Amino acid sequence: MAHRILICDDAIFMRTMIADILVSAGYEIAGEAESGLQAVERYKTLKPDLVTMDIVMPDMGGIDAVKAIVAIDANAKILMCSAMGQQSLVVEAIQAGAKDFVVKPFQPARVLEAVQRVLGG
Amino acid sequence: MTDARRARYVALFASEARSLLTGARRALGQWQDDPAEQGAAEEIFRALHTIKGMAASLEFAATADLVHATETTLGAVRRGDHAATAAWLGDFELALDSISIACEAAIVAAGGEGAAATPGTAWTGPRIVRVDLDRLDALLSDLGGLVMARQELERRAEADTFSPIARAALQMARRLDTLQARILDVRLAPLAEVFERIPPIVRDLARQLGRDVAIDINGDNLEVDRAILDQLADPLLHLLRNAVDHGIESPDARRAVGKRPTGRIGVTARADGDAVILEITDDGRGIDRDAIAARARAMGILEDRAALSDDGLLAVLERPGFSTVEQVTTVSGRGVGLDVVVARMREVGASLSLTTVLGRGTVFKIRLPTRLGIVRALVTGIGEERYVMPLTHVIELVACEPELVGQRDGRSVLFVRGEALPIVDLRRLLLYRGDDLPSRRPAVVFEANGQRVALLTDAVLGQVDAVVQPIDRPAGMARWLTGATVLDDGRPALLMDLASVV
Repeated sequence: MAHRILICDDAIFMRTMIADILVSAGYEIAGEAESGLQAVERYKTLKPDLVTMDIVMPDMGGIDAVKAIVAIDANAKILMCSAMGQQSLVVEAIQAGAKDFVVKPFQPARVLEAVQRVLGG
Repeated sequence: MTDARRARYVALFASEARSLLTGARRALGQWQDDPAEQGAAEEIFRALHTIKGMAASLEFAATADLVHATETTLGAVRRGDHAATAAWLGDFELALDSISIACEAAIVAAGGEGAAATPGTAWTGPRIVRVDLDRLDALLSDLGGLVMARQELERRAEADTFSPIARAALQMARRLDTLQARILDVRLAPLAEVFERIPPIVRDLARQLGRDVAIDINGDNLEVDRAILDQLADPLLHLLRNAVDHGIESPDARRAVGKRPTGRIGVTARADGDAVILEITDDGRGIDRDAIAARARAMGILEDRAALSDDGLLAVLERPGFSTVEQVTTVSGRGVGLDVVVARMREVGASLSLTTVLGRGTVFKIRLPTRLGIVRALVTGIGEERYVMPLTHVIELVACEPELVGQRDGRSVLFVRGEALPIVDLRRLLLYRGDDLPSRRPAVVFEANGQRVALLTDAVLGQVDAVVQPIDRPAGMARWLTGATVLDDGRPALLMDLASVV
């Protein structure tokens, strides 16, 4: 059974791109969220195997969303998606409970590598 | 990245970058009005950040660099290193303009839709607006109100068909038909959105299960309503999973029976009037109808000794909880069963049929409506509740006089011109407990699945053109209630799928 992934990003563009990369590798998209709040809500209802989380989003940023999700499920597997120049935020996200990160622009191979790493660990 | 995929990303970039820049300009206006406004800086920062990410992903390096530089300038102000003076805000506005120009240039250079946003410039290529589906839903329900107003007008105009009112009513009716068609057209989306997800998923499944599968997809340019398309993905993937897991044999097993080692799965869509016919075909082992029948008899859900027809087979398979999987596999053991597939399809007005030949393969055929319909329907009442049923199935209305009711094979039947029609009481179907039973009740005679049935109701209240909206069904709701509409008097009514009542 393919792993089910929840994609959180405020840009349809990014969600589409991540979804394409994941789907072409056989993952199933459990759902999408376009804000931190929505990410937390969807996490509760969809119970995905993995979450990809953008950092900068309206209505609760990615880091607060990570904290909220980890509070619900300590074993949540969250992969941060950050742009260049956000190293400090990435560190904060990992401290908050995110398992790994990838940097935009996405290289499909890197994204898949990170997804496998997080799912495996 | 394929060309088609890149073109899609460029189109998404175009629409998102433009709407983000519009939002950023609006926020900047507020900021200029009130330099202490912190929310504006945040919103602009998010917009720039998103545009930068998209531009970098498309390798629009110059645009990404420009946005990055602007974001850095903004960052200094957000941190308080620099004040947002009027002069600075003015410069920042120019910077946003430069970003707009850079984005448009990048879109054109990437072969995207024509250069935009400069007044007086001619557009080339399709112009695209992103619209929230909720807004289109609202438009559709407004249209529903208008259709009702039209019916009222037509009723009044009937008194004198040559009056100016009647002529105006006719004109309005024609325009309304056009408007309706256009609104429904706006909601259409290509099947490709769902179909393009199929091959990688099927290939991955085949790998997991040690099958060799070639997949063939046709007709993905056909369009259906967005709400229908959204409901299609899960059931379709489920049928495909079943095809790979239970249909296609292992390469060795295929060779042993003289088949090519590579199994074929086909997903074909073709237009059929207002509908789209989807066929999901596999050349695998087929469904063993004798095994299914034996199991169904053992479970007490099938009494008939005769062999199962294709329709009978589907009727057994779609029963909630019925499963032929002896040992749960990781693939089809999870997720929805065929019962859920059928229920989801019925909710959007689709119907499913099945053809299977043992050893040769299986074809699932889905007849999918392309547009959320406006259905000509009969309104009936049980107590204070209202139910509507599409007129397509209704044959006639008869009064259910006591002397016409009899028994046959242990069932209540209604004799209509010598023919004994099984009676179905809507009160009983609904488990309605009101004691307001009228002394005389009408029966709606309808035909579905080749069978005529007399449906007893409390009252028949007229006809409407119902704008049907799909419903989010609570657990336990009868599966033959498939949609909802609002009547002239503002009351809600549920739509009955007569074919599933039989």
